[in-house]
Amino acid sequence: MNKKLGVYICHCGGNISDYVDVEKVREAVRDEEGVCLAKTTMFACSDASQKEMIEDIRQNNLDGMVVASCSPKLHLVTFRAVSERAELNKYNYVHANIREQVSWAHSDDKAGATEKAIGIVKSAIAKVRLAEALNPIKIHSEKAVAVIGGGVAGLRAAIELSNMGSPVTLIEREHFVGGRVSQWDVMFTTNQTGKELVTRLYNDLISRDNVTLLTGAEVISNTGSIGDFTLKVKITPRYIRARCDEGYLQKAIDVCPVVVPDEFNFNITNRKAIYHNFPSEYPQYPVIDIKNCTRCGECEKVCGIIDFSQKEEIVEIRVGSVLMATGFDPYTPYPGEFGYHQFEEVITLPQFKRLTELNYKKLIYKGKEIKNIAYIYCVGSRQIEGEVHTVASADDLSKDTGSNQIEGENRYCSRYCCTSVIHTSIDAKRKFGNISNFHFTRGIRTYGKQELLYAESLRLGDIYLQSYENDPPLVYRENGRTHVKINDILTGRREISVTADLVVLVTGMVPRADNSVATLFKLPKGRDNFFNEIHMKLRPVETVIDGITICGACQGPKNITESMNSALSAATKTFSYVSKGEIELEPIIAEVDKELCKWCGECQKACPFDAVKMETSEGKEIAVINNSVCKGCGMCLPVCPVNAIDLIAFSDNEIESMINALVS
Amino acid sequence: MAENIETASYDALVIGAGIAGGEAALNLANNGFKVLLVEKDLSIGGKMILLSKVFPTLDCSACITTPKVSEISRHPGIKIFTGTEVKKIQKKSENNFEAIVVKAPRYVIEEDCTGCQLCEQACPVVVRDQYQYNLVGRKAAFIPFSIASPRVAAIDIENCTLCGACEKVCPTKCIDFTMEAVEHHVNIGTVIVATGFRLFDPLKIPRYGYGLYKNVLTSMEMERQLAPTRPFNTVLRPGDGKVPDKLAYVLCTGSRDATVGNPICSQICCMYSIKQAQLLMGALPMADVTIYYLNIRSFGKGFEEFYEQAKGMGVNFVKGKIGKITEKENGNLILRYEDINESVVKESEHDMVILSVGVMPNPDAGGFFGEGELKLDPFSFVHQTDLLGSPPETSIRGVFVAGTASGPMDIPDSILSAGAASSEAISYLNRKQ
Repeated sequence: MNKKLGVYICHCGGNISDYVDVEKVREAVRDEEGVCLAKTTMFACSDASQKEMIEDIRQNNLDGMVVASCSPKLHLVTFRAVSERAELNKYNYVHANIREQVSWAHSDDKAGATEKAIGIVKSAIAKVRLAEALNPIKIHSEKAVAVIGGGVAGLRAAIELSNMGSPVTLIEREHFVGGRVSQWDVMFTTNQTGKELVTRLYNDLISRDNVTLLTGAEVISNTGSIGDFTLKVKITPRYIRARCDEGYLQKAIDVCPVVVPDEFNFNITNRKAIYHNFPSEYPQYPVIDIKNCTRCGECEKVCGIIDFSQKEEIVEIRVGSVLMATGFDPYTPYPGEFGYHQFEEVITLPQFKRLTELNYKKLIYKGKEIKNIAYIYCVGSRQIEGEVHTVASADDLSKDTGSNQIEGENRYCSRYCCTSVIHTSIDAKRKFGNISNFHFTRGIRTYGKQELLYAESLRLGDIYLQSYENDPPLVYRENGRTHVKINDILTGRREISVTADLVVLVTGMVPRADNSVATLFKLPKGRDNFFNEIHMKLRPVETVIDGITICGACQGPKNITESMNSALSAATKTFSYVSKGEIELEPIIAEVDKELCKWCGECQKACPFDAVKMETSEGKEIAVINNSVCKGCGMCLPVCPVNAIDLIAFSDNEIESMINALVS
Repeated sequence: MAENIETASYDALVIGAGIAGGEAALNLANNGFKVLLVEKDLSIGGKMILLSKVFPTLDCSACITTPKVSEISRHPGIKIFTGTEVKKIQKKSENNFEAIVVKAPRYVIEEDCTGCQLCEQACPVVVRDQYQYNLVGRKAAFIPFSIASPRVAAIDIENCTLCGACEKVCPTKCIDFTMEAVEHHVNIGTVIVATGFRLFDPLKIPRYGYGLYKNVLTSMEMERQLAPTRPFNTVLRPGDGKVPDKLAYVLCTGSRDATVGNPICSQICCMYSIKQAQLLMGALPMADVTIYYLNIRSFGKGFEEFYEQAKGMGVNFVKGKIGKITEKENGNLILRYEDINESVVKESEHDMVILSVGVMPNPDAGGFFGEGELKLDPFSFVHQTDLLGSPPETSIRGVFVAGTASGPMDIPDSILSAGAASSEAISYLNRKQ
């Protein structure tokens, strides 16, 4: 059959037509076989152009359409939708990229760019001639969803999903919910405490029938795909049977002989092997840290709820979609980085936040009262290429680096730290009085209304100094005291030195050190190693793995308001995947020729998505593709020794015809 | 006017069809709710549709916005009123609001206009084109801009001489000078306020000479010069049409400045200036671009890397506040500033100066409801009552805020904020059932 084809060549408002002679392209392709209509357009994606295309398709009874414009990543879906609205099967649409691959790449050679564009459009025409109408694969979807991470973003998303009507399982690795925010005291801008916020969210969450909260729980395997994920979750027991009387619990804690650094307080205090992070922590059951417990049995004698017979459990849950809210870790400075682990007065911002919360009346650290505090900004953030830290002692090095020079790789700004440290420093001044704050900055970034906080800090008499990236402040010991020295650009590069009772390293956000859950879901990461969204503006909470959304600080540094906004957005997106009970998938997948296949297993090895299985059909072992898992990546095609696999819509025939059109 | 009243019911009213309002309307409609989307301007798409490229990805802004706009305008669940203002909203009870919106006459029957532009050619009146930020002219009968939605003509009645030339040439007879305002009384279950922001008016800082010196522009005027649908097809000095080769950006114009009543940071100016500087390096390879700044605030995902990239391309960053701008006879400008790095007051000459104007609240939002009902913050942005727990909530239950109506933010944050507002609105509507 000879198809009737329509071809549109987009100016992209100059993005293409400044470098490609679009009229010449039109002339070159309008007499190609089957082409009954060839037009140029200023913005093919604009509403007016879309309407025109629909009319053209209907009036001319077109069987195929090509739009030569930008990358298919941007607008393949747009023009497929156009053809659908004109009752033309959307797989009879072929996209030709003459912007990213032509005009932008060859802006120095207009004639060459035009020639290349002609070739690309001709090859798209060759492909659309062979294109077949296809129907999407429809699969059933579980209505339940899983939220991974029980920090404020995860809690908020779970509440919203429950509101919308999805059964939710919230999976938290720690034994308590609230994540990083539960470690924070008063917060900007509302002066609400982190614990108040977590309490509110937790109480809202557990009042719901359709929410299951799993703590001490870790996802250990994931199979399936959008609409039907099966997660195996390992649940570590608390070794505590029930909620107990605070008095008995305190006794049990008192008698426990084990003392270990308290990670919740970033090791500035110690805790026992039976513990909760703070009274009224949620859920309100304490937990026994079994790794450090000596099983001496002392706690059992004073408190009846302890149960060492509890066993690790593995539960399996089936969900249609997964929302990731796994959060961040605070950056840990290297030993010797601004005196960290070298001088005892040097601590990090998270440690300082715990310190101000745990002290009353006087600010005491290591037995000394603190009056002068120096804050060094951008530690672990905005690191410049070639910036090297000398590690204090070779013993402190992890073995795999093998050198005592370490180059920081975090180029990004951690966004929350300027505001966070200024707020904490004001809070310390208010709470303890008699405190002098010295801020060693790289330029304050209190964006938006947070600027008011900076102004308030200045009014309270805080001193701000600034240096450039390549000339950071120096922390050193002299006469038994710790000092911080800077070449201050705000006073004409004067060398200024401050004697500090405490040096606070304003550490930024880094991706979670243990991110194994991301590997289970094959989540892509950005240059900054945080999880990556598909498109910052068009699809900001979706990932390239269908059915998996991301929100909060696992996507990149965010403050609480920003995390909440992304959590709510991700909840809506997640819900939209599962709400209809049915999901449509791309029919562009691999297809095995049963006659040719002799099952050698090469395709199974090559498949990154575990979509290939061996099955016996008519007494013969062959490869079978799981339609709901196959992504149509094509990895299995070239490894097949008998050429038994073809990719629908990218068959050998189609590709060869495209190559022929390109070289002719 | 009494005869021009129409009534209808919707699940949600979204006020403002910029990128935030549009995103919120789409989310609601995609979840099966009926939405009335009201826009004061003649086209939907807000400020984003007029931008050149967007940071830090350098995506062409029109290319991202137009398909969204197209999706919004053809969605069966969304009714769009352009050229329409909200007169009054009253909350009767939970999930029950009554709104009065007034659609101003466009003097063109939207359904019949084909966008052929014959009226534009026939119209003898030339006025400044607000969609090109006054860089060029337009007619009194005009299509707002080439990628406007709806892409239909409108008559600028204030400047129209009623000569009738447009009526004569219109092939579909869709021009109707008898059109009157129509008042719509609508019942709705929830409201999303997405009224966006206004740009700081640089006339408030006379020492920068905007409006007096022709080669002092605002960043939005430069944005139009760099956009795909740019008026001149290159960057030109408005004073004499010369291609500039020594450009300066003045950051924090009207932001972080208590003397003009706006002590807060506008959050986007550093980044859009850095973006424009990068685009200028491409458009005018021989030009020098200097950015005068207080602090560079490249805090978002990929922003710091974008700033470093600009430095690598040769954009000159000078830490210093501009005190005064004066004009030379040849139209060049002398910038007097404190070079903080060297602690001296200096002067430098540039042939074009761009004022990176900040984000100001849109005062409209406060007037929709009864006196003081919708609380505003001290700067007249919509007050967020539960900033840390539920950022879209406002002082009225069932009314949510999206995008820059609540404060300065960039496009990615506006879109997430809109997603959050629609999410809360859906939950609020669901609670009824």
